[in-house]
Amino acid sequence: MARLRRIIARLSSLFANQRAELDLAREVASHLTLLADEFERRGMSPEEARLAARRAYGGVEQAKQAHRDERSLQWIEQTMQDLRYGLRTLCKSAGFTITAVLTLALGIGACTAVFSLVNAVLIRSLPYGDPDRLVYLFTPSPHIPIPPEAICPSYADFFDLKQQSHSFASMTAFEQAAFTLTSQGSVERVGAARVDESFFSTLQSMPELGRAIDANDNQPGHDKVAVISHSLWQSMFAGGADVLEHSLTLDGSSYRIVGVMQPEFEYPFSSDLAYGNPHIKATEIWLPLALTPQQKADRSPGAAVTVARLQTGVSVSQAQSEMSTLMARFNKLHTGERKDWGALVKGFMDNALGPFRPLMKLLLGAVSLVLLIACGNAANLLLARATVRARELGVRAALGAGRNRIVRQLLTESLLLGLGAGAIGVGLAVLFLRTLPLLDPGNIPRLREASLDANVLIFTVAVSLLTSITTGVLPALIVSRVNLTDFLKTGNARQTPGGHSRTQSALIVAESALVVVLLAGAGLLLRSYVNVLSVPTGFSESTVTLNISLDSRYSQPQQRIAFFHNLIDKIAVLPGVQAVGAVNSLPLSKSESLSTFRIDGYAKEKDQLAQSRFVTPEYLSAMSIPLIAGRCFTDADNSSTSNTVIVNQSFARIYFADRNPIGGRISQDEHHSQWKTIVGVIADVRHTSLEEAPAPQIYFPLFQDAFGSAYIAVRSLVPTKAVAFEIRSTLHTIDPNLAVADIRTMGDLVSEASARRRFQTSLLTLFAAIAFVLALVGLYGLMAYSVSRRTPEVGIRMALGAQRTDVLILVLKKAAWLLSTGLISGLAASWVAMRAIKAFLFGVDQHDPTTILSVCVLLAVFGMIAALIPARRAASIDPMQALRTE
Amino acid sequence: MPIQILQGTLDLMILRTLATMGPQHAYGIANRLQQLSEEALNLNQGTLYPAMVRIEQHGWPPGSWGKTEYSCEAKDYTITRAGLRALDIETERWRQMAGVVEKLLAAER
Repeated sequence: MARLRRIIARLSSLFANQRAELDLAREVASHLTLLADEFERRGMSPEEARLAARRAYGGVEQAKQAHRDERSLQWIEQTMQDLRYGLRTLCKSAGFTITAVLTLALGIGACTAVFSLVNAVLIRSLPYGDPDRLVYLFTPSPHIPIPPEAICPSYADFFDLKQQSHSFASMTAFEQAAFTLTSQGSVERVGAARVDESFFSTLQSMPELGRAIDANDNQPGHDKVAVISHSLWQSMFAGGADVLEHSLTLDGSSYRIVGVMQPEFEYPFSSDLAYGNPHIKATEIWLPLALTPQQKADRSPGAAVTVARLQTGVSVSQAQSEMSTLMARFNKLHTGERKDWGALVKGFMDNALGPFRPLMKLLLGAVSLVLLIACGNAANLLLARATVRARELGVRAALGAGRNRIVRQLLTESLLLGLGAGAIGVGLAVLFLRTLPLLDPGNIPRLREASLDANVLIFTVAVSLLTSITTGVLPALIVSRVNLTDFLKTGNARQTPGGHSRTQSALIVAESALVVVLLAGAGLLLRSYVNVLSVPTGFSESTVTLNISLDSRYSQPQQRIAFFHNLIDKIAVLPGVQAVGAVNSLPLSKSESLSTFRIDGYAKEKDQLAQSRFVTPEYLSAMSIPLIAGRCFTDADNSSTSNTVIVNQSFARIYFADRNPIGGRISQDEHHSQWKTIVGVIADVRHTSLEEAPAPQIYFPLFQDAFGSAYIAVRSLVPTKAVAFEIRSTLHTIDPNLAVADIRTMGDLVSEASARRRFQTSLLTLFAAIAFVLALVGLYGLMAYSVSRRTPEVGIRMALGAQRTDVLILVLKKAAWLLSTGLISGLAASWVAMRAIKAFLFGVDQHDPTTILSVCVLLAVFGMIAALIPARRAASIDPMQALRTE
Repeated sequence: MPIQILQGTLDLMILRTLATMGPQHAYGIANRLQQLSEEALNLNQGTLYPAMVRIEQHGWPPGSWGKTEYSCEAKDYTITRAGLRALDIETERWRQMAGVVEKLLAAER
């Protein structure tokens, strides 16, 4: 109790310090008076008594200091003193302070910005309970050359797994589906998921309103219920409390709303499933899966995504081995051609975020280098300033300040700089996050939710502190080593000439080396980006495309074919339209269909697959895909009885290496009873990505099959918006209950396909540019500083006959030496560091000599320009003046 | 040769002085201690003041300004109830300590 009271008293005396000081002074004075009185009584004269009292009392200041030490918490008091003093000195040299704070702010701001991205994408928790225990289950086949994550278990396998496995606490299957939502005259396409009764409980995410989808809902006939997303609740029902009394009209059927999910829940989001439905960005509606007994018994791998929650204590690899055993057993039950379905258990987070880890690491690495360079610059500024402050520090040391106390004072100042820079850095990060939507590739999960939350702010404070210490500690240690004897002997502010210049030069060399690494990385990424953009896509980027999906009213194949026939005919006669075609799925639209086939006269290779597309005759013209040989489809080909196909160049090159592909025959059925004739060869089209080499492609006539959904491609002379408007009204005259979705030009798709690369390239280039400028400023600063220090020396040289050019060369030589040392160490560092960037490159070698050479030239040229300004100042020194000031 | 004050004993001595003599200023306390110890205790101001602050902050005797008998101002310290309690505890502790040390010295002779 007494101890606590004492701590409070000591703390409060920090604030009531002035009164305590007055009190102390009074007490000391009274003490002295009492002593003097005593001496007077013993017979001394008042003057003698006063002096005797002073002698008897001893050191007044020491007594007072002892009192102060006991009265309050000295370290706090000293820190406050240091802070006050630090603020005052920093304010006095505003130029230095602003430069140092801005330099550090750039570094800290860049770090904060990147960390806010990393935080949003990788760290912030997902709206599911314990997501680390969630896994996806896939059943890849070793002989199908598509990513294992694209093959999901069949329903029969799913139910058997659910029943027989012991690794999973719960398991759910769902299918994605897009619907046309009609409400009050507006029609739009919405993303939905058909889920079983375990969906919400497996994810451990429950509705905020109403109930989840249960087992009863999954009985066929009871399935006309829906759970909607928070955002749909807000946009359609304005967040009204009576939402549970309403219904939704999806594809013409009515569904009763039974629940509303929590705000963040949009699972599956487009980035959750690498091979999900490309039309669905976020899921807004959840409906019952309601499988029929036939579906439940189906063993062909389906589109149902399977998510399971691991039993506590079961690891992913344990679950994996159990599932492999079970799948081997289930394969015997399969009746199809393949009986080699395997097992893959993949972490839920890993699946969604795994691909982004390297990118986030790359960005973090880049900003760390930027921060290091900023620290180097700030440290150099501190060192330069320390030389000017040598006198002040000397006086302080002479008055009894210990080295610790001086180091503490200097560190306090760099702490103030760091925190100031942190505050400005947060501002810079806000600016960055404002401009982020311009760069957002749209397919990095939750990137758009990046914000400065508590995590990020804690990070920023930590980085600011760390920065202050890294920046301040070296200068503080060097500078605080005041040689008191020398200082007092010379009484001169100047220490040995060029005191810390070796440290400063080393810092500049290190900075240049880091800049070489960053510039080389950015340069390689830029070259890769240019390479990607110059990839021949095979189609015209101005073609306008849109998607139309038919609903359940078009159940007959004939109806569907008639609908698209009619629509295409009507669009073809719109003003400005030059060509219009249709295709089942567009290039670069993230959906792919693969076909197996056999070629007449070519021994079938194992797993011989081609990308396949179903097109109308005019499609090739609408997309401006060049015909290389043979002919295009005609209307005569476009029917269910057609037996003609078109292949691409890669197909012809691989399978018709030394013969004419036109007239060649391929078959797709198992017994090769039905052969199809190749009538044309067209140019390669990039279907899956810009960065993958074109694969063999086969084109079939669209109306050979009756698709319920197709993309319309239009080559037109009028602007995109006008085309879209015309098509929308045309569709309205045919069927007012259908919606037009995904209106984009092919250029938009190309831009989307290169968006991730654009994102990483622009960020890395931005950071490299900041680093470059910082390093140049640092070099300029050091040269300017050394010129100002060497003014007397230059004066003497010139007085002794040195020419202005000699002086110019003298300064430039030093800069050249620093730069070349930096460049050489930078080259060595890049040789190692570029290994990290290898995976991000396209069409350029990680040690590409042109890029590396350009980087060196760039740094050398701009470095010399930065050095030229102080060099010219040195050359213009007036020797008379220089010597006089000395 | 003046003796060194043992750590923590000065507070006890000051409390005892105040309890015996009533309100007293720092100078008075110093004088009293010096007299009692027959000049063996040389109380330098660098030790007396911190002790007074410590005691004051513990709330044992708060100081207040008053006049001395020769009517010059001085800060008088008056012992409080908490101070008396602390004095009892500290006295007891000192006796125990001194007893232990005495015994030990006697036994080891």
